[in-house]
Parts: sequence; C-alpha cells; structure tokens
Amino acid sequence: MHEQILSQFRTEIRHFFLISLLNLVFAAIAIALGVQYIVTAIIGQTLDPLIPGFPVIPGMRMLTGVIAMCCFVLGIRWILSTVRIFKGTVIIKDDLRKGGDAITDNRLTCLIVRMLAHYRDNRRTIRTMILVCTLGGVCFFVLGMANSLKVLSISSGGFAFTLDNLLLIPAMLLTLGISLASLFSSYYFSKFAQVWEQRLREINESECALKQKLGLDGQ
Amino acid sequence: MSGRRTIYEIYWEILVYCRVPRSFTAIINRCDLNSKTGQEYLEFLTMKGYLRTMPEGERRTTYISTPAAGEYITLFSSLYQKLFDNPPDFRL
Repeated sequence: MHEQILSQFRTEIRHFFLISLLNLVFAAIAIALGVQYIVTAIIGQTLDPLIPGFPVIPGMRMLTGVIAMCCFVLGIRWILSTVRIFKGTVIIKDDLRKGGDAITDNRLTCLIVRMLAHYRDNRRTIRTMILVCTLGGVCFFVLGMANSLKVLSISSGGFAFTLDNLLLIPAMLLTLGISLASLFSSYYFSKFAQVWEQRLREINESECALKQKLGLDGQ
Repeated sequence: MSGRRTIYEIYWEILVYCRVPRSFTAIINRCDLNSKTGQEYLEFLTMKGYLRTMPEGERRTTYISTPAAGEYITLFSSLYQKLFDNPPDFRL
C-alpha cells in the first residue's frame, strides 16, 4: 500500500516537475523570440532609403510589433510564475529522491503535506499561469503566421499563401512549437490544478475526523 | 516546513517532531511558527494530553509526544496518504 502511494506521488511530482521545466525553457525562448520579433518590427518601420520619409510596410510590421511586445511581456510573466512553482517542486522532488524506496511513512506524509502547502501558496499563480500559457500560445501562433506570410488569400474554393522567404520556415515551425508547448502546459497545469483542488476538498472533508480525535468537534 | 498549512497539519508536524524531546525554540524553528502561535499550539497539545513537558536542567523544558499522539499521527497519515489511492483521471 505504502509503495503504491509512494510510486503514485513520485510519478505525479516527476510529471509536474517536467511540465514546470518545459515551461521554463519555452518561457525563455518566448522572451528571446519576442525580442527578436520586436527588433524585426522596428527595423521594418525604419525609413526606406530609396523613398525618403516613407516607411517600408507599415501595417503588418506594426501588428507584428504589438503582438511581439505582448509575447515578450507574457514571456517575462510566464518565467517569473514558473520559477516560483519550479523551485518548490524541485525541493520536494529532491527530498523524495534522497529518501529512495526506504522512505518512512511519516516522511512520505510530510512530503504530501509540503506539496499541499506549496499548492495552497501558489494556487493563484498556477491559475494565472494557465491563463498566461493559453494567451502566450495563441499570441505565438498568430505571430508565427503573421511574420512568415507575405500574401494570404482566402476564397470560397480554398486558401493560398506565399511565404516571405523559405528560410523563415524553421523560425515559423519554432514559433508554432512554442505555441503548442504553451497550450500543452496550460492543459496539464489545469488538469493538475483540478486534481489538487479535489484533494484539498477531500482534506477539508476529512478534517472532521481529526477534529474529533483532538476533541474539537464541539467547536 | 513552511507554506500555508492547516492547524491539523501543524499539530501533526509538532507531534512527529517531538517523538524525541525537543526544546520550545527547536519546535518553533522547525515548524516555522512565531513564538506566540507556537506557545498556543504547544499549550493546546499539552492540555489534550498529546504532549508532555519534561524539565531538563534548571531553566530548560523540553516537550515529548505521548502514546496518545501516536493515534493522531496514524489517523492523519492514513487520511493524507489516501489522497493518492487513485491516480488522476488524466494520462500522465
């Protein structure tokens, strides 16, 4: 029984750690790409030397610049939220690893209590992160498309597009990868949050038994 | 242990920590409590018979869990470990 619980707890912590790590990596890439797109957008807004006084492609570059700025801000927010959650999870994961398979009953309970406390402390951050990851995913998807397409025509018969440059394909794929990763993180964080919320509810319900044991049931 | 905990979690932590005699300072440091709340928790547990004081030296007192505390610790552990009886309903 103890082994089964230990294995279940360990699996959950490991997955939560991996999702947090994935988030950290992609948040860092998101910031870098955000800066890159901002720079590209600014360069696009500079004056054309052949026609003094006129910017090159005003509309598209402006849109890309604004979305890139949003991605940059979301990336910073994303990384700050993730670091906090990541740090707590790493400490618990390390303690779990140190204990090995011979971990005592009380030590296991202690780690469960710590994880619950960690979740209570970061409940709001996790909710924000779910939102930020979703928004980030959508922003990066739009950004990847907007920055790579030169012409897009949609008609009743289908759609056709022309790429700005073939070299943009890897960058576009990376951007799409980030958007998928952030949507994936958002999905898993919301699933984990649901499970931990359910556990907190179960704990609240079982507090009656503890109250009774402590002789506090009259209060 | 730090972070947002319920009083039952704090009681459990104190009782587990005091399975060997511990001083007041050691308890509040370990359980991340301030001296006022720490004193209240210890008084409550002593009053309920889960902790007893042991004089050690002239001015020092230590706290130790009683056999009754074992029942609370066991109940608490079983309730918390029960949370992991079933895996989450999503694929990990």
